[in-house]
Amino acid sequence: MKHSTPSGLLALLVLSAATAELRAQTGAPDLSDPEVAHVAVTANSIDIELARFAGPKIAKAEVRAFANTMITDHSAVNAQAGALAARLGVTPRDNPVSQSLLAGAAAARASLEKLHGAAFDRAYIDREVGYHQAVLDALDGLLIPTTENAELKKLLAEVRPAIAAHLAHAKGLQGALAAKP
Amino acid sequence: MIRRVAAITLLGAGALAAGKPAVPRRHVVEIRGMAFVPAVLQVARGDTVIWVNRDIVPHTATAGKAWDTGTLAREERGVIVSRRPGRLEYGCTLHPTMRATLITR
Repeated sequence: MKHSTPSGLLALLVLSAATAELRAQTGAPDLSDPEVAHVAVTANSIDIELARFAGPKIAKAEVRAFANTMITDHSAVNAQAGALAARLGVTPRDNPVSQSLLAGAAAARASLEKLHGAAFDRAYIDREVGYHQAVLDALDGLLIPTTENAELKKLLAEVRPAIAAHLAHAKGLQGALAAKP
Repeated sequence: MIRRVAAITLLGAGALAAGKPAVPRRHVVEIRGMAFVPAVLQVARGDTVIWVNRDIVPHTATAGKAWDTGTLAREERGVIVSRRPGRLEYGCTLHPTMRATLITR
């Protein structure tokens, strides 16, 4: 149940005011397994929805391919998470961390809505780099250590390499877009 | 558990090695943790290579226009028979960071 202190972008995205309040009360955001499940499903859904929103606005084929992969991969993870939750009889429970993620997603989408063309591509990929780094940090510093159920913990551990690969993919695109805007 | 042969691609004409023909072998490459395992596989001409996706997310094993397993969901498998000697770099079209090598003797 113990976990290290999340830092950097995780602090920005996950440890919102609400979570910080919880942390102040308890010493650390100590999520129950239904809450961890909710955070996981929410994190996947946010990236699916952003990719769907971005699709028609994306200028470069490589960036569109990335967005399509985000839809495919995060949908696959959510399908597995849903199946596991159903099998375990766990109902995902809303919590301050999920709410913080949703608030961050709304803000990101609002800023992206104003952009077009190459500027949109760069901003979308910048967001994806930051988001996947934050999710990776959350998995390592909060979600995996907090989870008690062995199967849910295993699922989160299996998801981790995919998030790391998405981050590397996004960073590669970020570099390419900077070199050839 | 789903077991599906996603694609069978025969490369080149059926060229038997000179002399005593070797018995073709089967090799398995697991896709797990966003990597091909083993990352380098050496086979003989006529051998069968099977890719099995153990990851939650879908993958492909694709060597440009030479062969492509198509998209493999979790526990699905793709099969090729390698008939062209040489070294082929291949990867997953969905995840560009995933690369591996197939060497056919």
